[in-house]
Amino acid sequence: MRVSNWGKARAASLMLAMFGIAMAMPAAQAADPIKLGLLEDASGNFAIAVIPKIHAVELAVGEINAKGGILGRQIKIVAYDTQSDNTRFQEFARRVIQQDKADVVFGAFSSASREAIRPIMDRYHQLYFYNNQYEGGVCDSNTFVTGAVPEQQFSTLIPWMMEKYGKRVYTIAADYNFGQISAEWVRNIVKEKGGTMVGEEFIPLSVSQFSQTIQNIQKAKPDFVVTLLVGANQASYYEQQASANLNIPMASSVNVGQAYEHRRFKAPALKDMYVTANYVEEVNSPESNDFKKRFHAKFPNEPYINQEAANSYDAVYLYKAAVEKAGTTDQKKVAAALRSGSICTNGPSGKVCIDPKSQHLSHTIYLVHVKADHSVDIPKVWNDIKPYWLGSVGCDLSKKSDHSQYTPSHLPKK
Amino acid sequence: MLPNLSGPQTLGKGPLFWVLFFAAVIAAAGVPLFASSFAVSNFSYFLVWTFMAMGLSLMWGYAGILSFGQTAFFGLAGYAYGVISINWGDAHGLTWAALLASLTLPVILASVLGYLIFYGGIREVFVGIVTLSVTLVFETFMAQTAGPEWTIGEARLNGFNGMSGMPALTINFHSGDLIFDGSPFYWLLLALVVLAYLGLRVLVNSRFGNVLVAIRENPERAEMLGYNIRFYQLIVFTIGGFFAGLSGAFYTLWGSYITPSSMGLNAAALPIIWVAAGGRTDITAVLVSTIALTWVSQQLAIYGSQYALVLMGIVLLLVVLFAPNGFVVSVWRSLSKRSFVREAADPVRKFTSAAD
Amino acid sequence: MDFLYYAYAAFYQFADAFSFLVLSGIGLAVIFGMMGVINLAHGEFIMCGAYVTVLSARAGLPLPFAMVCGTLSSGLVGLVLERLIIRRLYQRLFDSIVATWAISIIATQGMLIVAGPSLEGIKTPFGSFELGGISFSVYRAMLPAVALLLLGALYWLFVRTRFGIHSRAAMQDADMAKALGVSTNAIYSKTFGLGAALAGLTGALYAPTMTAVPTMGSAFIVQSFVTVVVSGADVMLGLAPSAAALGLIQALLTGFHGQLIGQIGLLVTVILVVRIMPTGISGFFLRGSGSK
Repeated sequence: MRVSNWGKARAASLMLAMFGIAMAMPAAQAADPIKLGLLEDASGNFAIAVIPKIHAVELAVGEINAKGGILGRQIKIVAYDTQSDNTRFQEFARRVIQQDKADVVFGAFSSASREAIRPIMDRYHQLYFYNNQYEGGVCDSNTFVTGAVPEQQFSTLIPWMMEKYGKRVYTIAADYNFGQISAEWVRNIVKEKGGTMVGEEFIPLSVSQFSQTIQNIQKAKPDFVVTLLVGANQASYYEQQASANLNIPMASSVNVGQAYEHRRFKAPALKDMYVTANYVEEVNSPESNDFKKRFHAKFPNEPYINQEAANSYDAVYLYKAAVEKAGTTDQKKVAAALRSGSICTNGPSGKVCIDPKSQHLSHTIYLVHVKADHSVDIPKVWNDIKPYWLGSVGCDLSKKSDHSQYTPSHLPKK
Repeated sequence: MLPNLSGPQTLGKGPLFWVLFFAAVIAAAGVPLFASSFAVSNFSYFLVWTFMAMGLSLMWGYAGILSFGQTAFFGLAGYAYGVISINWGDAHGLTWAALLASLTLPVILASVLGYLIFYGGIREVFVGIVTLSVTLVFETFMAQTAGPEWTIGEARLNGFNGMSGMPALTINFHSGDLIFDGSPFYWLLLALVVLAYLGLRVLVNSRFGNVLVAIRENPERAEMLGYNIRFYQLIVFTIGGFFAGLSGAFYTLWGSYITPSSMGLNAAALPIIWVAAGGRTDITAVLVSTIALTWVSQQLAIYGSQYALVLMGIVLLLVVLFAPNGFVVSVWRSLSKRSFVREAADPVRKFTSAAD
Repeated sequence: MDFLYYAYAAFYQFADAFSFLVLSGIGLAVIFGMMGVINLAHGEFIMCGAYVTVLSARAGLPLPFAMVCGTLSSGLVGLVLERLIIRRLYQRLFDSIVATWAISIIATQGMLIVAGPSLEGIKTPFGSFELGGISFSVYRAMLPAVALLLLGALYWLFVRTRFGIHSRAAMQDADMAKALGVSTNAIYSKTFGLGAALAGLTGALYAPTMTAVPTMGSAFIVQSFVTVVVSGADVMLGLAPSAAALGLIQALLTGFHGQLIGQIGLLVTVILVVRIMPTGISGFFLRGSGSK
């Protein structure tokens, strides 16, 4: 026993020595690929909205590699399936940083998973892109956000809805960070514009039955309902409100653009749903049509190209622009280039630029209206809406580093 | 060597077993000397879960108490460490005080809940549903604490997105701080796992352990023999809660993060799977199976692409079909029919419906 | 008149919660309540029923027939799984936790791989009706009646028919039942298949009012276990009062204090009910009659 253990130990140390030699080889040669770590939920609860994101990154990387890569280096995707599980995010964030030594990390769908890995990104000063619409407020030197935020979605949507339908507003929101913070934004804007909140209801993520909520809405008689519902359980609301013949217009920042409810649910469950999204597949512009053509050529079975796919696609090109500006993949220098104020890309939704203060993205915001037959029209487009809020309350990452998330009722200390 | 380290209630005795055991411990302790820092933190991650599993093994495998909600204690301790350590900071060794304080809470919860359960005559599957309800109440409640009003001192609970930013364990020397991070954290965990494992072995091989098994086999008979079975069950339940809390506090320390979903239904099922698949009636089996299954499931997630969960399911099905006493126990028995194997008459009882 | 409308609206909420709890639990009542198999894949049987219903309805089958298809296919899957896996675990029922959990993750992820992340739904039939300015879905208003009907049928099946008596005999004392000439293996098979079919029926009934996704079973699983466990040992007797008690409290709390308190209240009620009646509701009822 002892002898064989010794033998094993010697063999192991020999292998380690060889490994050490291999590791000591000159590290980043010019031809080495750039490593893009990708932590996305290919399975589990969020897979439905995330699979197009993964494909979009693959599409962008494929295009860039076919044209010679970035600074002559190919991009290599190091992808892990995080299974919609926060603990997996933590495991793989460490793996992709420490073991794979990613040059940039993309990933996370839910805000909870982003918050699970953000401390790890910060600890290792890892350049990180969060390519998702969310509740806003992340002011973090290592994090760049390409999704839309409340000031872009609600300051456009709510006033428009109040003008068209009236000033009595009822909000139903998922009872967690996203829903509560978004509801706060809605409340503030409604108040500011002289409207009334006739009801506000928060619903735990596990709830799938909405009879009581539907009755409450009917009693309150709002002019429109803001639905900030999240996840597969809560998606059942739409069919249930339609079958109870609620028949009140809806406004949202999460539906249609993410999990394409208008394609998945039988009409007219989403009749008169209005969503502000920075991209939906139905956007009919030359850039968008070209994007869709390339996307479907590579992924012919993709059921829907959502806004997070457009965000992820843009993120790859933004990273490319920054690396080319910095002339290196050194993460500090790339981050500095990203917040230089001149990093833009012409993506599927039009031109988008990184705001140096908040490290968020400016967006074209489309007002998407779902009709009774679930076809979609776009009655209004707002061009170049800036992610101004964080900057206006005192987050300026170009001057002062920070690692926090702020909300309208939790502002940076002056 | 303490006589109770080996006995009728545990697999493994005799010099060969202990030589192997010490070899394993020494090998594990040597990991940081040659492995990457990632591998060390990953090994720490596997160790984090073993306390909760060993505690459940004591409760379920030895005393016949199936709790479906050990994650309640896990989450309570995890959040408690977060709240306390953020408020107390990492100076003056206060992180250790925060750790101790955060471990008292699951003990208190477990003893109160255990009192209500066992002195209230709740048994069998009803214990499982009560503990499951407790952990789901915790999860649902914590998920909605996103607002700034849910702040305890300096610490924001931060709802479903989870709480982060708690300091690592720190010893403050004049010359500077020793932060328990990376290898020191791993060694600390390893030492605690060894301590917990040996401690549980002594416990289950003691008279106390024999009584537990008697209660598991036939509570009425044990009661007739004069044992205060409720008291024993309460003690075991409290120990199980403590161990789950230990896992929770160290999980928070490991990732500097704790989230309500660590108390949800999926999280609650995992320890039961580890314990049942390895062989719930033996501490060693549960220790090995917890580490092995968390490792396998991680490997599958890395290399299995979209088939990872399907493959994990198949692995578990095979285990349950072909290793009726748990895979570690089965492997153990087939590997060796030598003297250090406990040939326990593993009484496989038919568990009829709640009506017995 | 207004009072009557409000009373109906409140009753509707109670009945809606009641039928959700009954239908969540009804398949599990057979598989877990009677057979003792801790079936963590219960939600996936429901998902299977819902998927087959949606798919066959979209293929052009009228909804009632689609629902029959959903029910039968889930029952069939149950029969196959019983034959291949569950049968080997009757002597060690705790291991059914691991096996059914494994089946559950295989089914969820397998469905994602095979059928994609979501199915286009089907419309809720029958439209709506209005009372005192509040409109209700006719279909959902009918579900409580369906739930009661099913409970009655199940009670009849297990108490009055030969199959039911054999089945209960086999569960209570397999050796004795065998000695009396009951083919216990066949009985186990049929009972498990019945439970799976009932779960499939739940999926079929809720398919038109929910979104069909691979993880949809998780919306039912907690409710199903708490309802069935609270029912106690004689699950056929206890299921209706258990669902009624839990549904009433949940509806009241949700109505007055919102969904969060409704959810938490349901779980706290479970703890309290079990504390007061440690053998479940049926055990509490039967205590007086001398049965254990």
